[in-house]
Amino acid sequence: MFMDGGRQLLNQETARPKSVAATLGRFWAYFRHYWVALLSVLALTLGAVWAGIQIPLVTEQAVNCYLVPNPQACTYVQVPPEWMTAAGATGDALGARLRGVGELVLIALGLLAMNGTLIGSAFYAMRYAGQNVIRRLQREMLHQIHRLSLGYYSKNEAGDVMSRVTNDVDTLQQTFGFALMQVVTAVLNVGWIIIVMLQRQWEFALLSLSIVPVMLAVTWYFSGQARKAFRRARREIGSVNANLQESIAGAREVQAFNREEEAIAQFMTSNDANRAANVRAALYTSALSPVLEALSYVNLGIVVVVGGLGLLGMIPFIDKSTISIGLVIAFILYTQRATQPIQQIALLWANVQSGIAGGERIFSFLDERPDVVELPNAKPLPPIEGRVTFEHVSAEYVKGEKVLDDVNFEVQPGQMIALVGPTGAGKTTVINLIPRFYDVSSGAVKIDGVDVRTVTTDSLRSQIGIVLQDTYLFSTTVMENIRYGRPDATDEEVIAAAKLVAAHDFIERLPDGYQTVLGERGGGLSQGQRQLIAIARVALMNPRLLILDEATSSVDTRTERIIQAAFDKLLRGRTSFVIAHRLSTIRSADQIYMLKAGRIVEHGTHEELMARRGEYYALYMSQFKAQEDAPQPVPVAGD
Amino acid sequence: MSQGQTGPRPKRREKRGSGALTRAIGYLRNHRRTTGIALGALIVATVVQLMVPQLIQNMFTFITDGFRADVLLSIEPEFARQAAVRLAGETVESLDLQRVAAGQLLLNTAVIVVAAAIFRGAFAFVQTYMAETTSQGLAFDFRNAIFSKISRLSFSYYDRNQTGQLMIRATSDVENLRLFIAQGLLGAVQAFLLLSLTLVILFLSSARLALVVVAILPLTFIIFAVFGRISQPLFAEVQRRLSNLNTVLQENVAGIKVVRAFVRERQEAERFYAATDAFYEQQLLVGRTFSFLFPLIFSIAQAGTLLILGAAAEPILRGELTIGQYQAFSLYLALLFIPLGNLGFIVSLLAQASASAERIFEILDAESDVKEKPNALHLDDMRGDVAFEHVTFRYFNSGEPVLKDVSFTVKAGQTVALLGSTGSGKTTIINLIPRFYDVSEGRITIDGHDIRDLTLDSLRSHIGIVLQETNLFSGTIRDNIAFGRPDASDVEVMEAAKAAAAHDFIMSFPEGYNTPVGERGSTLSGGQKQRIAIARALLLKPSILILDDSTSAVDFATEAKIQQALDHLMQGRTSFVIAQRISTVRNADLILVLDKGQIVASGTHDDLLEHSPVYAEIFNSQLVGDAAPSTQGA
Repeated sequence: MFMDGGRQLLNQETARPKSVAATLGRFWAYFRHYWVALLSVLALTLGAVWAGIQIPLVTEQAVNCYLVPNPQACTYVQVPPEWMTAAGATGDALGARLRGVGELVLIALGLLAMNGTLIGSAFYAMRYAGQNVIRRLQREMLHQIHRLSLGYYSKNEAGDVMSRVTNDVDTLQQTFGFALMQVVTAVLNVGWIIIVMLQRQWEFALLSLSIVPVMLAVTWYFSGQARKAFRRARREIGSVNANLQESIAGAREVQAFNREEEAIAQFMTSNDANRAANVRAALYTSALSPVLEALSYVNLGIVVVVGGLGLLGMIPFIDKSTISIGLVIAFILYTQRATQPIQQIALLWANVQSGIAGGERIFSFLDERPDVVELPNAKPLPPIEGRVTFEHVSAEYVKGEKVLDDVNFEVQPGQMIALVGPTGAGKTTVINLIPRFYDVSSGAVKIDGVDVRTVTTDSLRSQIGIVLQDTYLFSTTVMENIRYGRPDATDEEVIAAAKLVAAHDFIERLPDGYQTVLGERGGGLSQGQRQLIAIARVALMNPRLLILDEATSSVDTRTERIIQAAFDKLLRGRTSFVIAHRLSTIRSADQIYMLKAGRIVEHGTHEELMARRGEYYALYMSQFKAQEDAPQPVPVAGD
Repeated sequence: MSQGQTGPRPKRREKRGSGALTRAIGYLRNHRRTTGIALGALIVATVVQLMVPQLIQNMFTFITDGFRADVLLSIEPEFARQAAVRLAGETVESLDLQRVAAGQLLLNTAVIVVAAAIFRGAFAFVQTYMAETTSQGLAFDFRNAIFSKISRLSFSYYDRNQTGQLMIRATSDVENLRLFIAQGLLGAVQAFLLLSLTLVILFLSSARLALVVVAILPLTFIIFAVFGRISQPLFAEVQRRLSNLNTVLQENVAGIKVVRAFVRERQEAERFYAATDAFYEQQLLVGRTFSFLFPLIFSIAQAGTLLILGAAAEPILRGELTIGQYQAFSLYLALLFIPLGNLGFIVSLLAQASASAERIFEILDAESDVKEKPNALHLDDMRGDVAFEHVTFRYFNSGEPVLKDVSFTVKAGQTVALLGSTGSGKTTIINLIPRFYDVSEGRITIDGHDIRDLTLDSLRSHIGIVLQETNLFSGTIRDNIAFGRPDASDVEVMEAAKAAAAHDFIMSFPEGYNTPVGERGSTLSGGQKQRIAIARALLLKPSILILDDSTSAVDFATEAKIQQALDHLMQGRTSFVIAQRISTVRNADLILVLDKGQIVASGTHDDLLEHSPVYAEIFNSQLVGDAAPSTQGA
């Protein structure tokens, strides 16, 4: 798992530079659907930025018109000459000037309220679009999980798939919420302010803004370094997660073998590596903000020095009449407003980067091509009669390594087929090909003469009942677990199915009977009980074709016989495939196929095969030899 | 499923609620050094930060003085200039000096500003870096604590909780808490420091205007408090819905074959859609609250500046306040409102963190049902006498017992075969011996000691177990076999593998014993996994051996080989075997026949065959599977 994750990340690292634009393009394809919201974000933010920039202008008017009247700089009212002379205002003049200031303050407050409301609304619109995109991505990922053939899951760790759907989407959550909005606001703000400054005094403006490219360069450098460090950290958190998941899944073994201390020590090692990587990354992220802040102070110094010297006529290329104290103060405010957003963007840059990286991982998952694809003109499979044909079937999980090699057989409706052979002979592969969990690499699997690749997978699988060796139950009630294959079944039908497979008794004894909620791993139930529930689930489905892969391996023989009898009733006239290591199940089969290294080496009934004294006989006898030293049992009832 | 929990829980939660975050912060005492350095750097950086506006103000004074000199000196004609100079109480020389000095002083002060900036930058870096280091250390501690806790919790905890849920708590919730510690906690200290120092400066420069500011401050704090109160449950709900969403996902990934086989993609998608909708709605709800918090705080800050302008108008016009003083006041005012804006951000971190802290402590406070006694006995050697005395067991606090009044005695070295139908209690008996669960009533003794009086370590290290479901760990095959005894030599590992009939298939891999095993052993077949699990148990050389249905996934040729190895290994060890093979049962020293949690018959094969019709029936039905071919040939 660790190695896989590492490899993936390495690939990502090398593939990265050329795919950033592509990833952004992919995001755009999702955001496009919410163009109304996005346009609103733009319009609202523009409005907010406009209102925000008006506020200092209004307060400037309050100073220039009423507090320190200056007819040239006051555009709000005609300044009466007597306001200019009087040092301390009194009486009516005082009242009028106070009212004037009050008015302007109210206007500024109005602009402020407008600014706040517009920004809030823009935030919300952005969040709305972002959350919609995230929901879309989550859902597409679930569909992809469903669409991908089982081959994908045997090659990739479940933990990695989970991590893409949860952790990587989680990073987007942060990116699409606050960060993106901040970036939009900051860019608009900075752009606007720079234009305003250039208009007022361009030489002064250029000198005042000289620090901005430096800030951008510093940000670029540090975030590049931080990105590398964060990528390392992501890999480490990957191994922390893997460790966790593995230990939770294997908690029983850990305790049984007294390995808690070692497991904890091992976890601490990977946890510590993660911490070290994060602290290393913090070296860069912690430096960025102070450096930028220091630069903004330097910038402040430059503005004051340039403004001051300019005002005193000490800078050759600046005409001192174009500079006033008011302008210097205004420029201080402007540069502060311009450098603050840059600092914010810098802080959020890492966030945006990790959003892009997360997007890459998500899209690479979504782009994974399923091996098993339904044909565009696939037709539903009519009700199965039960003739199953394998025509020169070969299958390979890994290119060039055949798991099945030219397998041929035809099963008549209603037959029970047993598959035997050593571990790894290809028994499970044969079974996986029938419901098209995998596709053949050559040849064809046909049901009633129809190639399974030409029908819809829904119509195919809904007619096939499968009981697997490792039973998976969902964390819901027993009732719902049995109902899984036929959601419209009534409670009575569910109970009838449970009775049929001898599961009713133990279910009744559970604390809440059929309403008992099962844990993830079917907590509190034995493996055998879980198999019984899985079998009841299939019995309720009433399938036309049945596949049992070591389905009763954990059920005792007595219960197995009851189930067998139930299936015999249920499957009258229906085809079934059985893999079982118990002879009782196999012996009554209509046909036994003996597989070895992906080929059928023998087939026939139990009696025929025993009489042939071939591979099957040898396998059977080896089992018998192991029993030889035990004294012969005396009473043989049963059959 | 968790009836037992619902009782005491609400009471405990009430107590936790607000305290969880405080308790989490208490973990900082393990990181005193880094926390202290961060705090010290913070104070220095903040004080320097407060000096900068004063320096800028000085620069302004130089500018205005120089400007005045410049204006006076440029008055034409000369007699007017000299009159003006005299009127100002200066001489042309002194003014000329002032004009030149202004430029020089300006540059000098600018150098000081740059120096202060670098100084502050250095300390701000130390502060952030140390805060980050501390928070990573804290996250490290919490993850370790959670991991240690879940490694030791009894099996019943796993029966109740889902992997996805536990994962979210160890990752996402810890990260929320870490973010608060890294950015929120010191941020809050810094904000309050800046706030109070600035307030002092404001009062010193103009008490009258400062009073206006003081009037605004409580308003902001009330808004923070309200937002905090509103948002904490909102965030808790976000995490809850995220966990739900993850659970559905986890089930779809883990159970993908079942989903496919039963053509339930559509229903599963519907279920997932509902989960994503719930999450989406909650996120938008949080969005509605928080989209307006930041602008609101920002607006209040700006409104403060505007109100100060309004309040300053009258004193300025009356000549009681100069415009320069007002300007200085405004600059410091900005310093006052920056921390207020930061506090708004911190409030959201705080709300998120306290919701997460509560979820983390839910795990850390979970009590294991199986606890070691403080003065538990460490058993160095175990003979292997096992006795069950009136043992009753229930998985759930209520509900019918899975075992009812079970009593039996096994002498060291004996083999016990457990028989009974599915769900009769065989696995439960086996789970009770290494204390995966504790008995509900009665007691179990080993060598005469109640197993609850022994240390878990010494109890379990003498017991070798092969469980029904085999989990292997990532690592090599060798690592997996040596799982219970990492110090075992290669020879010992190989011997165990040979005994479990695993050596041949292991050697058939190109990398042999160094072949890596994937998560849940996905690169191995079921039979191969089981044989590795058997080898793993055998390597322990346990006094008590427990085999639960252990060879069910193996084809019969292999099964026969394993069986021979096991028969050999069980000699001289107390063995509990759930098996359907007649040879095991026949050779057993004690056979326990279970039905619905009770022992319905016990004894040796011969005894039981004679006296127990139940056993006879089971024996015969069992036999069918393994019978000699001669009896079945025709």
